[in-house]
Amino acid sequence: MRSKPIIACAAVASLALAGSALAGNGGVAPVAPASPNADAIRESYWFVSIFAGAIFLLVEGVLISFVVRYRRRRRPRSADGAQIHGSTRLELLWTLGPVLILSAIAVAVFAKLPELEDVPAAAAGEENLVVEITGVQYYWQFRYPNGVVAIDRLRAPEGRPVELRVTAPDWDVIHSWWIPALGGKTDAIPGTVNSTWFRADRGGVFEGQCAELCALYHAKMLAAVEVMPAETFDTWLAERRVAQTAGTSQLGEEQYEGACAKCHGLAGEGGYGPLLEGNAIIGDARTLERLLREGRGLMPPVGRDWDDEQMRAMTEYLEERFADGG
Amino acid sequence: MAVDARAAEPLVPHWQRGRFASWLVTVDHKRIGILYIATAGFFFALSGFLAMLIRTQLAQADQGVVTGESYNEVVTMHGTGMVFFVIVPILAGLGNFLVPLMIGARDVAFPRLNALSYWLYAFAGIVFVLSFFAAGGAANTGWTAYPPLSAIVPGNGQDLWILSLHILTISSALGAINFVVTIHNMRTRGMTWMRLPLFVWSIEVYALMLLIVLPVLSAGLTLLLLERQFPATFDFFVPTDGGSPILYQHVFWFFGHPEVYIMILPAFGIISEIIPVFSRKPIFGYKAIALSSVAIGFFSLLVWAHHMFTVGLPNYLNGWFMVVSMVIAVPTGIKIFNWLATLWRGNISLDTPMLYALGFISVFTIGGLSGIYLAAFPIDWQVHDTYYVVAHFHYVLFGGSILAILGGLFYWWPKLFGRLLSERLGKWSFALVFIGFNVTFFPQHLLGLLGMPRRIYTYRDEPLWEAYNLVSTLGSYLMGLGLLVLLVAIVKSRNGRRVGNDPWQADTLEWYTTSPPPPHNFDSVPYVSSARPLYDLRRRLKERRGF
Repeated sequence: MRSKPIIACAAVASLALAGSALAGNGGVAPVAPASPNADAIRESYWFVSIFAGAIFLLVEGVLISFVVRYRRRRRPRSADGAQIHGSTRLELLWTLGPVLILSAIAVAVFAKLPELEDVPAAAAGEENLVVEITGVQYYWQFRYPNGVVAIDRLRAPEGRPVELRVTAPDWDVIHSWWIPALGGKTDAIPGTVNSTWFRADRGGVFEGQCAELCALYHAKMLAAVEVMPAETFDTWLAERRVAQTAGTSQLGEEQYEGACAKCHGLAGEGGYGPLLEGNAIIGDARTLERLLREGRGLMPPVGRDWDDEQMRAMTEYLEERFADGG
Repeated sequence: MAVDARAAEPLVPHWQRGRFASWLVTVDHKRIGILYIATAGFFFALSGFLAMLIRTQLAQADQGVVTGESYNEVVTMHGTGMVFFVIVPILAGLGNFLVPLMIGARDVAFPRLNALSYWLYAFAGIVFVLSFFAAGGAANTGWTAYPPLSAIVPGNGQDLWILSLHILTISSALGAINFVVTIHNMRTRGMTWMRLPLFVWSIEVYALMLLIVLPVLSAGLTLLLLERQFPATFDFFVPTDGGSPILYQHVFWFFGHPEVYIMILPAFGIISEIIPVFSRKPIFGYKAIALSSVAIGFFSLLVWAHHMFTVGLPNYLNGWFMVVSMVIAVPTGIKIFNWLATLWRGNISLDTPMLYALGFISVFTIGGLSGIYLAAFPIDWQVHDTYYVVAHFHYVLFGGSILAILGGLFYWWPKLFGRLLSERLGKWSFALVFIGFNVTFFPQHLLGLLGMPRRIYTYRDEPLWEAYNLVSTLGSYLMGLGLLVLLVAIVKSRNGRRVGNDPWQADTLEWYTTSPPPPHNFDSVPYVSSARPLYDLRRRLKERRGF
């Protein structure tokens, strides 16, 4: 029986190694960071791991070796072991040892804190980009300083700090904003605004999802941050501004996929919610707006706080796609 | 001499003596203890079944074993069931059976109150089970039931969930009062605090902590219930009319974190009883182990917001809660090192109770170490609410509490029923449960670090996520098989080996009386002159025989 822990450790170790081979680190540490704050967390993680690993090996090693060394063998069951009642020196040793280790960890965490907390300053003459993030059952809404709105996919410039103001409408529930490669979680709490930031140091799409149970489609409340070269981003933001005013932006489609499709299906085929194809309400912009703003029955008021541009984008998209049987 | 009219009547009325009725009316702490253990066993099967549903659903991405709606109910009821209806009551059951025997008392201080505690627990359990059939299904907001979600979620499942916990908190509070009064007043001659069995020490701290934190939970749940029922009148937690969602989290975790230690301290107590007996040694550092329980109990009241590092508290508060959380690691470490030192130069018998105890030390250590990562709040910002946390608390609550409880059942079964559980089946169950447990929960650490949140009914179909989830599911089946073997062992123990009063040659008073003990427990109790009265007795007998 004493070999069980060894087998288990071996199994676990081989699993971890196989995992590492498959995907960079395979989950033995937080995912590869793409922002200084995620990097600082990962460094703290490795720092704690040094001590945790050592204590793990010490305890399991001592446990296994004592069980092997002092098992009964041919002694009678009732034979006494050494009648030792304790040792003050040893007690002090294994009280002070952990105290020192934990102090070291605490100091290291506090020393890393500024890296995590202090938002890097913008380049001279520039202001940091500030994006308002609102978590709503079951989508993420991003609002840029110029009024551009995007859903579930946040576009961000490479190399520039992006400040995030994370909240949820006061009639909604708690969500939690989390893109693992870009830092830790920030809860989106109704009626409260929390701040966080990232500065993506490489391009790419970084995925994450809501991390606080927010009811039925919590599992589908995905988010992605698309990091692009700064100039590309500037162009995108400016073009989107124009398109949004003109009603030609992707906003309607994004809102459909984020706010509607989780219940009504990507093709409007229905699912948890009813079929949209040819649905009578779709053609009636006023009723549709009321439905989106107030909800009905099981349908939550997904569009309660939408501005006119958003609402227009939504009703036009729905009408174009689903009215008259599509 | 005049004949007393009452003498003609039997002491126990006839109708109460039936096989079934006698259990309904019993006020015997031993029978109540067995009732607790049996009822908790039923809830263990129920909540375990829900766990199997969860793992089956998550074996691969996008499965439809249960719907997204049902999944949230399953997760909520699994967690609530295991915490409130399995671990805490089964510890109350073991405490009920053992505390009076271990301190040489005839019963608990208030036997009728004791019966009331049990029946309230049973009643709460009925409400809990029936809530599955409520309008809108069972509660589906997680065992933590965070508002605004839990305040606005439709249906009656959440209301019944609140009511069943209300009943349960009354049950637990009454039980806790009974433990405290019994331990303080009914110890036999010579049993000073420093001679108290370590399991009784742990029950003392368990009961005191329950008394401190249960009223807080009751208050929080009452507010939630009021806000659900009268949303126009009460605004405690929903911000539309000025409530604070964070307030609930403070209230819940002021109860919730000590609750974790309420579940683990008696498990520590069980381990502290088993390890010395199967090593043929006194426990190493008795005082350190007893007082570290008190220290853990005290500090656990000061750490609640380490569950709330992502809600946006200022960092000086986060820092405080990190440091105090780490402080708890010190007394916990003291216990682990003292248990290891108890093995040193012992005569170790690897019977099933000892296997479970050693398994406990090996996996609880992992749960303790992963706790350090969670206490360091910036790291928690990454792993909070992910499968890393799920892995952590299963290492603590299954690898910790449940393994210790299973070891305790194998250890005390002959005292409960006079018959041994099969050692052969016991060893099989240990092997399957121990390996299955690690295969189930270790990969979940990795999933959490990869970014998989908890409480999701499906996940992004990335190869590594699916691989780890599949391994985890297979492990859970192995663990389930091990628990079925345990069930077989329990059923077969009706014809198990009779082994006399003291099969393990243990040290504490419960082994002094017969197995099972008579209703009055002891004909006589020896004077207690150390923490190991039976060891002293055996030694004296040996010396006398030497003449």
